[in-house]
Amino acid sequence: MSSSKDSFIIFLKRLYITAFLILCISLLYYQIVKGNYYLARAKNNYVRVIPERSIRGKIFDRNGVTLAYDRPSFNIAVIPYQIKNNKEALLGELAKFCSLKIKSLDRNYNRKFQNFFTPVDVIADIDKKEAFRIEEKFANEVLIDPQPQRYYAFPYETAHLLGYVKDAGSFYERLKKYGYSPNERIGISGIEQYYDDYLRGTDGGDLIEVNSSGKIVGFLGKLNSARGKDIYLTIDSKMQQAAYESISGKKGALILMDSKNGEIFALVSYPSFDPNSFVKGKDEIGNFLNDKNNPMQNRAIQSTFPIGSTFKPIAAIAGLEENKLKPSTTFICRGKLNIGKAEFECENVHNEEDMHDALVHSCNVYFYNVGITLGRQIMADYAEKLGLNSISGIDLPYEKKGTIPVSSIKLKNRWYLGDTLNLSIGQGYTECSPIEIILATNVFANEGYLVKPHLIKKIDNMEITEPKSTKVNVSLQNISIIKKALRGVVESDEGTARMLEPLNLSIAGKTGTAQTNGRPHGWFVGFFPEEAPKYTMCVFLENGGSSYEALKVAYSFLEKLKEQQLL
Amino acid sequence: MFNNILHFRTGFKPAKIIITCLILLTILSLSSIYSSLHQGGAFTDQGIFYKEIMWIIISWIILMLFSLINYRIYFDFAYILYGINICLLIAVDLFGRSALGAQRWLNIGGFNFQPSELSKIITIFFLARVFSSEVNKGFLRGVIAPFSVLMLNVLLIVKQPDLGTALVLVFLFFLMGFASSNKKRYFVALIIAGLIFSPFAWNHLKDYQKKRLIVFINPNAEPLGAGYTIIQSKIAIGSGQFFGKGFLSGTQNQFNFLPERHTDFIFTVIAEEWGFLGAIILLMIYIFIINNILLVARYKKDNFAQLLLIGMACLFFIHIFINIGMTLGILPVVGIPLLFISYGGTHLLVSFMLLGIFLNIYRQ
Repeated sequence: MSSSKDSFIIFLKRLYITAFLILCISLLYYQIVKGNYYLARAKNNYVRVIPERSIRGKIFDRNGVTLAYDRPSFNIAVIPYQIKNNKEALLGELAKFCSLKIKSLDRNYNRKFQNFFTPVDVIADIDKKEAFRIEEKFANEVLIDPQPQRYYAFPYETAHLLGYVKDAGSFYERLKKYGYSPNERIGISGIEQYYDDYLRGTDGGDLIEVNSSGKIVGFLGKLNSARGKDIYLTIDSKMQQAAYESISGKKGALILMDSKNGEIFALVSYPSFDPNSFVKGKDEIGNFLNDKNNPMQNRAIQSTFPIGSTFKPIAAIAGLEENKLKPSTTFICRGKLNIGKAEFECENVHNEEDMHDALVHSCNVYFYNVGITLGRQIMADYAEKLGLNSISGIDLPYEKKGTIPVSSIKLKNRWYLGDTLNLSIGQGYTECSPIEIILATNVFANEGYLVKPHLIKKIDNMEITEPKSTKVNVSLQNISIIKKALRGVVESDEGTARMLEPLNLSIAGKTGTAQTNGRPHGWFVGFFPEEAPKYTMCVFLENGGSSYEALKVAYSFLEKLKEQQLL
Repeated sequence: MFNNILHFRTGFKPAKIIITCLILLTILSLSSIYSSLHQGGAFTDQGIFYKEIMWIIISWIILMLFSLINYRIYFDFAYILYGINICLLIAVDLFGRSALGAQRWLNIGGFNFQPSELSKIITIFFLARVFSSEVNKGFLRGVIAPFSVLMLNVLLIVKQPDLGTALVLVFLFFLMGFASSNKKRYFVALIIAGLIFSPFAWNHLKDYQKKRLIVFINPNAEPLGAGYTIIQSKIAIGSGQFFGKGFLSGTQNQFNFLPERHTDFIFTVIAEEWGFLGAIILLMIYIFIINNILLVARYKKDNFAQLLLIGMACLFFIHIFINIGMTLGILPVVGIPLLFISYGGTHLLVSFMLLGIFLNIYRQ
């Protein structure tokens, strides 16, 4: 045994001495034998890469309308090594010639500087004629550097959905192992980030030798750039525009989804931002980043809020499924409910009513009683079954998961009966993102199936297989009871969403006004046509005042869709 | 003949020699990283330099700590550590997917930590334990079984993707296997089987990994990516000539021609600034270290300790040879740091840890 090791150690020594000799011989060859040759190359001939950026894949909507594409832009670049002695003077003249501020040129230079021989774009994206005019005037000192630039056809409408692109430079340390170069563009947030692997192409370029005055003296090689893949989304650009117009001016989110398979037709968040200015690195970026209304946040998936009465159908189905309630179970509403010293209020005095009417009126007292009957655990479990308390898995980055006070969750305080009452009307610890509540409500529209929301339809010519829906274990009979009640919410004269009835779309849904620190949040979540639902929608208004405001947005949105015959 | 060269006695004890070498390497590492962070005369990325100082301090502490821990403990815990290691790699795999689909580090207290580096040391424990058993277990239990367990680790690392480390682990398996066994033909059989299956593995490589291998065979195939680096590296090394250009005077380095200067291509900086002389001195220091490890390995009676030391020597050798080989363009650019010199916290920590273990074995 040990003789085996002894002989191995001898073998190993021979191995590494040989290996090190090989290294020594190579060093000897490069440094001594060819040392003068390499020294000359290092001194006089610099190897330089002139990068050729790849074209990023386009993004289309479901009908082939282009949402994002690369267009050529003309930049004015300087080569640091060439201008190192008269940089300030040259930038000053350039700024004067183009009537720009020298400050912004300086800033661009410092931000984009990589090394002394790679062109630095000091003026970005100017008119082609202007570019040639500048090149003529500063013939030997600047060069035109044409680059593809991302352009968004509906910037504000699709900002949260698509995200934007940025140079990989600032993330380079993290990305370089994955084959990114610092000049390459990388998707930031939205579809651009989620499908970056497909959208990005491969950069190419020319490898040339230049002498110390920057003249090209040799051509060493070329690598052709390769295009990224095109992506087709489930989004309908017209619906998306209508959604954005409808919600404009009000903080919130609007989602329209295919009830059957979870394809998203429209998903907007307001306030929005202009991704084109991010691409260009314009000054107004600061306004978007510092705005206290957080225009960068996608309120449809990245923030969670109390959901108010939109929780009631979930409490109702929990009661029916557990046989603790019947559709005919009645409770009496006197406008409030006293628990100990605390008083729990209702909007109105509804007197005696059954489950259907309670949902139609959105009676709080009825659901306080439901809460007392069922208890925290059952309601929370059903909420979880319907997909709350977990991320939806939509193909967008940074989704935030809501909270349902299930037993495993850690609470700050002890659980009181009052908390149970709050849970039954979607207040207190309960928080959801709009995408979560639209999915939960869609279970009633889609015969008990929980769909997986998605935006991708096709990558190049490859159709994407639809993600599978999961069956929620609830009876169809109970679902249809709730579904009828939700229709009543719109259809009935006493329904809280009756203002949508004149649209004649046979809408079913639920309103919600969620109490919060500031003004209440407004919710409407529903689907239509009730008989065979095709569309499920959700309107959320942050501090919107009441569900009435949300209904107004829903009305104007659906009216626009009808006018344009999109339904 | 080689034996005679290698067995010259210096009168110093191996531990002292190794500590002296380490001090020299630490100084060299700091000065060349300092130089590599200069651009056009200005000191850029100072943060990296200060971080490196932090890492070096931590590494020396780790060295002392590990020299106090009885190495037999690694025998007892080899399998458990291996399990933990696999869990960590899976954690990185799951965690990494959420963040841009791309991350190989766990972030612990602001310092990035690479479990794949730790994998190397734990794999040495694991293999040393498996192969140190006196009983000859036959082909299936003695070779195939540990190989399969190792492949789990290797595949997780390839997936990260970190081709360099994965290759190192496979090399370690065969070298340590050869060292322990009388049945070397088993390992030869496995290598032949591996060669037969390699086209299959090729299809599973990432595009850029394939590219790197292609570029190795023909550097002009891609003059912009890895080929560009190799050309620049050769110009920098060659232009250093015999005495080098002097500290902070490497023009190729300073003009930012070389990507990854302070990490994988740090040898280029040394060879440019200190010339052939500096490079040869560095190689000599490395030879001293490996030689002394093997010297101790030879006179140890404990099978496990011997294999630990052999594994250590092999790991060091592989690192040095592949890294310097790739800067010279005679080996593919696989992203392996230069032992004790490159910037990169975990790599430094692991190497010092191994030497801490060496000191402990030596003392017992």
